Formats: sequence, C-alpha cells, structure tokens
Amino acid sequence: MRLLLRIIKFAFQHFYRNFWLSLVTVSMLTLTFLTVDVLLGLNLSTDAAINNVEKRVDVSVTFKIGTKESDVQNAASYLRSFPEVEDVGFVTPDEALAAFKTKHASNPTVLASLDEVGGNPFGYELDIRAHSADKYPMILEALDHPSFRDFIEAKDFTSHETVLASLSDVTTKARWFGFALLAIFLAIATLIVFNTVRVTIFVHREEISIMRLVGAAGWFIRAPYLVEAFIFSFVALIISGLVVIPAILIFNPLFDAYFETNLLLQNFFIGQAFWIFGLEFIGAALVCMASTAFAMRRYLKI
Amino acid sequence: MAALQNVSLHIKPGEFVSIVGQSGTGKTTLAKLLFAEEHPSRGEVIIGGWDISKIKHSEVPLLRRQIGVVFQDFKLLPKKTVSENVAFALEVAGASAKRIREVVPQVLKIVNLHDRGDRYPRQLSGGEQQRVAIARALAHKPKIIVADEPTGNLDTINAHEIVNLLKKINEFGTTVVLVTHNREVVNHLRRRVITLQDGNIISDEEEGRYRL
Repeated sequence: MRLLLRIIKFAFQHFYRNFWLSLVTVSMLTLTFLTVDVLLGLNLSTDAAINNVEKRVDVSVTFKIGTKESDVQNAASYLRSFPEVEDVGFVTPDEALAAFKTKHASNPTVLASLDEVGGNPFGYELDIRAHSADKYPMILEALDHPSFRDFIEAKDFTSHETVLASLSDVTTKARWFGFALLAIFLAIATLIVFNTVRVTIFVHREEISIMRLVGAAGWFIRAPYLVEAFIFSFVALIISGLVVIPAILIFNPLFDAYFETNLLLQNFFIGQAFWIFGLEFIGAALVCMASTAFAMRRYLKI
Repeated sequence: MAALQNVSLHIKPGEFVSIVGQSGTGKTTLAKLLFAEEHPSRGEVIIGGWDISKIKHSEVPLLRRQIGVVFQDFKLLPKKTVSENVAFALEVAGASAKRIREVVPQVLKIVNLHDRGDRYPRQLSGGEQQRVAIARALAHKPKIIVADEPTGNLDTINAHEIVNLLKKINEFGTTVVLVTHNREVVNHLRRRVITLQDGNIISDEEEGRYRL
C-alpha cells in the first residue's frame, strides 16, 4: 500500500513536471473521446431519422371496385398474421371517398371530376405498416398470394424506398468517415503517448539511474509510467465529459424538436454515462498503457 | 580485452581499503562489480557469502540496499532538498514514513548537515554535496560503502573532510572501499592499499602508500 501510494505520487510528479507534454497528450486523448461521443450521437441521430421516416412509410393496397369486404378482411387477417407487420389499417370505399373530399375541399376542379366519374370511384384500401422498412418487399410479395392477387388494383410503396435507400447510404458513409477519424485520432494519441513516455524517461534519466543505485526494484521504477498513462486517460475523460454533458443539455431540445423524440440524446448519454464513459476510459487506458509499455521496453533500461 | 584479469582479493568486514591506479586501469570496473553494475565474464564476486557474479536481475535491488555507493559527481537530484534526496533512497525501497522521519536526521547528523536539510544541492558547496551523497548511501545502514573517486571534484580541504568522514563511518564498523587516484588522500589514510595496473593487481599492502 505504501509503495502503491509512492508510485501514484511519482506518476503525478511525472505528469505535472512535464506539463506541456502532458497537455498535448491529454488534448489528443480528449479529441479521441469527443470523436467517439460524436460518433455515438451521429448513430443516435441516424437511428432517430430512420425511425422517423419508417414511421411515415406504409404500403397502401387498393382493391378493385366491386371486391367483397370479406375478401379484403381475409387479406387484412392474412397480413396481420405476419410478425413483421405492425398494423393493418382498413379503409372502406366510403371512408376513402370522404378522405379524398376532405383533402381536396379547396379544389373544386378535382371535386367536379368526381361528379363526372359518377358514383364512388374508390375501392377498399389496406394501409400496412411494418416494424421496419426492410420488411416491406416481403409484405408486397405476400400480397401476390393467389387468394387475393386478382382483387388488387395497386400497391403504393416505391417513393419511400428511395428516401430510405439514400438515408441509409448517407448514414453508412457518415459512420465510415467517423470510424476513419476515430482510427486516425487513436493512432495519433498512441504515438503521442509513446513520445511523452520516451521524453519523460529521458528527462528523468538521472532520477532513474539514482533509483537503481539506491535499490529501487525494476517494477517500482516502471510502475509510475503506467499509472501516468492511466492519469492521462482519466484527465482526458473528465475534460471530454465537461464538454459533452453541457453540449447534450444544450442541444437536446433542438434534437428532440427535429427528430420528434423525447429526451433521447440526454437519456442515452446521461442515463448510460457509466457505460459510455467507463468503456471509453478502459479502452483509452489500455491503449495508453500498451503504448507506455512499448516505450519503456524500448527506452527504459533498468 | 578484459578491463580486469587475474584479480583475486579478499576484503574483511570492517576494513578500509583504497583501490588505486591510473585512469583506465580497471578501478571503477572493480567497484561496479561490487554493486552488480557490471558482471564478471569469468570468476566469482562474493559479498558476505553471497555469490553475486550471476545475480538475478530481480535480486540486484536487494544487494544495493546493503551497499552504499558514492560517486565523484554526487548524483543528487537537483529538484529535491537535502532531506528529500536522503529520504528518496528509503522511499524507493519501501521504508515507512516513520522510519524515514527517524533515519534522515540521524544520517544528516553523521555527515554534519543536520542544519541543511531544507537546502537544495545547488545551494551547497561541493564538499557538502558529497556529504549529502554519503548520507544517502548510509540511509539503508549498509555493511559496505563503495566510494568511486569521491574526492575527484573537490579541493584539498573538502577532500580531507570527506576522507575523514569515511574513516569515521568505518570506525562505526562499516567496510569502506575507496576507489581513488588521489595520492594525498591515500597516503593520509595509512590503511590497506590495492594498486591496479592494466587490469592486474600489482600490489596489496596492509598499510600502504600511493606508489605509482
């Protein structure tokens, strides 16, 4: 315990006696942490955006005029039996006509065209909503079932498919860019830690030689450098936390308004802070310690 | 070419031995063999019955806690005070704070620097700095002190002070091995003198003089 406290004391001495080097190291680690947090935020935003679009997506199936209600009900029951289907809305011809009239109430030309057609030009309609957008092709295929294939007038889906495809494409590209940035920052941070330890060993070479002469064990000489790597990660974590948490509190209302969510950003980052920051810290500390161990193996001759 | 060859000597407990010779004759190598900074390519180095010629890396710190080492360039930490420099030797060896508080004033008193504990090395004379180095070497209460040219950077008066201090330490029962090429110091001591030349012992006298 006594030696452990001394190791920690020496580690802090290394940290503040090489203040500028420590500052550069901590800054790079902080940037790495911030990149991870931005990536997580980006992931959350794209998920929210996809959810949002998916909520608006549905497949409308229009049945031919004259199709019996029981046949349409059968089709609805058949569709409801799929686990991928979240909801099937049933619209009668009268409801469809009323909805059309309401929608075009301000356009007499369109309404006049109804009189020209005469009677109700709408058939039964089913509005199908799936749990996720990628299930729609399967649902559309299911509608080709011989029992009701011949009653179906039209299936409307294509326009949503394009939106989802482009959103998914942008999201994937943004994620790749984020990961590339993270890899670059992590590589730079590793090199900076390596260099910091190398310089610290050089600065303390006299102290190290005296430690050896007066009988310090090898592990006692090495341990403060590993603890210092731990301190770098911890300080960087605190600084990134001090930037990220207020930023979340500021941007959360904007985020919620834009993506129609309820405290999503805040609940994710603050609710799971222990896991998010804890894993970031463990990851960074392991990388720093590995880099330190490598630098010591190379430059610290005991 | 070997720095030392055919060297065979026995230093008895409590002895004061001077190892003399011109530069490059192997004096420092002999000293380094004693605290395992160098290892012999052949032969044995036995300290208190412990053969350290093939000492394990992990055992070197244990050996060094039993041997105090003093160098010509003092090897003090400039950013630590006199007391902190002495305490450092105990700290790195895991001594308790209580023991450090007891031992540091004791050894500073032996070297007559008990009133300089708060000074930094740069605020002391060369002789005083060397006395701090001796105090640090004494911190572990070693059985042997190896002093490698401890008077090399000092004027005559300070050199004599250091030698007298080493004599005093020897009188307390600590074995002292003094490596030097200072004729006056050796002649003043009138103790055992081992003379090296070209890596060989050319003389070993009980009450010797500097003969090169």
